[in-house]
Amino acid sequence: MNISLLAGAVLNGMVTGMLYALMGVGLSLILGLLNIPNFAHGVLYALGAYVMISGAKAFGFLGGLLTAIVAVAMLGAAIEYFGVRRLYRVHPDYILLLSFGLSLILTESIILVWGPVGITFQPPALLTGAIDLGVTAYPKYRLVVMVVTTVLVLGCYLFVTRTRYGAIIRAGIEDKEMAAALGINIRRVFTLTFAAGTGLAGLGGALMSPVRGLLPTMGIDILPFAFVVVVLGGLGSLPGAILAGLLVGVVQSLMTAIWAPGADASVFALMTLGIIARPQGLLGQR
Amino acid sequence: MSDGALLRTERLTCDFGALRAVNRVSLDVRAGTLHSVIGPNGSGKTTLFNLMCGEIVPTDGRVYFEGRDVTGLPSHRLTHLGLARSFQRTNVFGKLTAYENVWAAAFARRTPGALGFLRRASEFSEVDEEARRILGEVGLAHKLTARAETLSHGQQRALEVGVTLASSPRLLLLDEPTQGLAPEATQQMTRLVQSLVGRYTILLIEHKMRIVMSISDRISVIAFGELIAEGTPDEVRDNRDVQRAYLGARR
Amino acid sequence: MTRGALLRFGLLLAAIVALPLAVRPVVASEIWIFAIAGMALNLIFGYTGMLSFGQATFFGLAAYTAGLMMIHWHAPLLVVLAAGTVVGALAAAAIGYVCIQRVGTYFIMLTFGFNQMFFFIAYKWTAVTGGDDGLPGIPRPPLALGPLAIRLDSSLRYYVFVAAVFLLAFYAMKRIVDSPLGVIFQSIRENPGRAAAVGYDVKRYKWIAFTIAGGFTGFAGVLYSMMFGIVPLESISWIISGDIVFMVLIGGIGNLYGPLLGAAAFKWLSEAISVVWERWPLILGVALVLVVLFLRGGLVEAFRRLRDALGPRARPEPGAKLPVGIAAETEAGS
Repeated sequence: MNISLLAGAVLNGMVTGMLYALMGVGLSLILGLLNIPNFAHGVLYALGAYVMISGAKAFGFLGGLLTAIVAVAMLGAAIEYFGVRRLYRVHPDYILLLSFGLSLILTESIILVWGPVGITFQPPALLTGAIDLGVTAYPKYRLVVMVVTTVLVLGCYLFVTRTRYGAIIRAGIEDKEMAAALGINIRRVFTLTFAAGTGLAGLGGALMSPVRGLLPTMGIDILPFAFVVVVLGGLGSLPGAILAGLLVGVVQSLMTAIWAPGADASVFALMTLGIIARPQGLLGQR
Repeated sequence: MSDGALLRTERLTCDFGALRAVNRVSLDVRAGTLHSVIGPNGSGKTTLFNLMCGEIVPTDGRVYFEGRDVTGLPSHRLTHLGLARSFQRTNVFGKLTAYENVWAAAFARRTPGALGFLRRASEFSEVDEEARRILGEVGLAHKLTARAETLSHGQQRALEVGVTLASSPRLLLLDEPTQGLAPEATQQMTRLVQSLVGRYTILLIEHKMRIVMSISDRISVIAFGELIAEGTPDEVRDNRDVQRAYLGARR
Repeated sequence: MTRGALLRFGLLLAAIVALPLAVRPVVASEIWIFAIAGMALNLIFGYTGMLSFGQATFFGLAAYTAGLMMIHWHAPLLVVLAAGTVVGALAAAAIGYVCIQRVGTYFIMLTFGFNQMFFFIAYKWTAVTGGDDGLPGIPRPPLALGPLAIRLDSSLRYYVFVAAVFLLAFYAMKRIVDSPLGVIFQSIRENPGRAAAVGYDVKRYKWIAFTIAGGFTGFAGVLYSMMFGIVPLESISWIISGDIVFMVLIGGIGNLYGPLLGAAAFKWLSEAISVVWERWPLILGVALVLVVLFLRGGLVEAFRRLRDALGPRARPEPGAKLPVGIAAETEAGS
């Protein structure tokens, strides 16, 4: 295999990896706060993509992005407010089941609204074409996406660890009752965090739509990988999700180049090995 | 260990990060006695129990039960060695009936081989008798089929002790059995605990001083995670350090 | 048996007899097959408190194993049933051992992850599994009992066989639940910390529950492999995992009859609606959301509320041997 192919695979891996990291970060926030894996995370990613292309038709590329983020985040807030909230006192398993039911509803709704066929979407004219990186040529848009997602992911990390609101979120994750007792409107924190986490998923979908194209099953397809990222990185660890995201993305991409049939299974093999070797995840706490 | 200490801890220590919750506590519990552990709120008494019972692994120090080093053994192993503990916050099987709660605890100590599991649970008459006996002893004979979560607080505290007794222990660790109980229920619980003396060795955490002073053979006083005094009730009552710990250093 | 138990069992037998009159025998068979898988999930979720989103792993592995054995070795019926059960149990023992190291969310995601792994392997390893096209050419060997060889060619005959082995599986599950394991599993669900404190090795019992469930699910998978003459890829996909979770939830978790009701409701509804509307999973999603929010006890709870509304509950017979386990909940008052 020549160096150009390898470089291309690594770059693809980083693009996918940062996407996975973005998904992982959103999932991790929700997981940390609500202690449930959000099964709807995948379909919200898909919804972001679909809303994006409709929005882009009306408002241009950036307008489409904005529409996607806002729509998905608001949907996330609504889901938390009307559904998840009623189940806090019951059992986390039921929140998971709720998210699962929602994922079905939303996937079918996507098919109803946008049809069952795959759709392709072109990136904005400014970002089409490739850049020559010496070792290989690589699509401009993908590089931009990689940079943007990296910035977003780092931004989230800094927000959660350095800002006051981030501290509130972390307090809520540690001990909801205590945080509430300290006068924090914990319900609002939950709703906003849920909206932020899902918004990130939607944004990921929107950004990736020119790269991967759209299919109604794109949400279901990406969900397991998002889970692997969170499990491998360590539940509740944002840096873990970032690291794991990159790892998973690169491994998957390299395997696709070397031996395509094993690419997806290798991701789960990686997860299994990771869990066995280090049960708390790469950067998780014991 | 031939001096009759059923349970001994040696410099038992527990750190939660920078916080030292239990600091080098060494105490002996002599077989057949009722040994109380008292101290201000938050002084580390429950943590001490957790260390003895395998809920938490100590940062340092050792625990010996019947002369055997049991430090760090998981709780389910300790139960089979003859040590059982009740919890300060009622910790039973909520949706199971009172009968099933005690039955489960009693069966755990009488687990048959693999083939034994082929029988129906209701066919284990020994376990059935034991469960009924214990429920009678703690005053819940009329509540066998009631779900644990539907019991009143007093009844739940009684069930809490019942589940602990069902493990047929030699050493009983009771963590504030009268917690939250009204005066009459407190009296009943005290009588129950007194009835257990002699049949079991008891290590008791209690806040109600009158009870502690009247029924204990020996008292250890813990403050800020440290053992500050130990002796008979009279010795402890007159101890300056103890008074200071409870009332604050005033003079 | 108490009167209530006798009544319920009678209804079950009646349902078995009447079902092929209400739906096509193929659908009826599927109902009992998934009822078995549902009972297995109920054991680990309803009784032990572990939600597995990857039961299709064992369902599919057993189905493929049985299929391959029948195609290449012409293995007899009882042998493949046994083999599938063993495969399911062994796979569950191995996978369960890893998953059980974690609890709650982590556990769920691990079961899901393993399911995905095996799905992708089955998807890509077309030489063995046929990939997306499935594994075709599965015969339906006759049931060989001594000198008798009963052919199971027609759907109705196969239904009778499936219903019969379902009753066996039901009985086996009932015995498990009535054994001390039933109480132990439930105590682990209710309070794993206390279960350990009273002397149970919680991880070991969880592992036992998971392995038993894997065996039952594998058994169901073998029956499924012979339904259509082909083992479809979806046998090992998370879609089946999700379906099984649905059925248990909609039927009523923690109750022995819950999965049966759930399987019946699920299969019947999906048959009825999918003919009319391709987007029927939407209805399923709505049903799930409604159950989760408003009727967590599922159909069993719905029936119980109806029964309570209609009349007072019977008290347990005095002097009767005190039931231990979930039966106590349904018989005794609280």
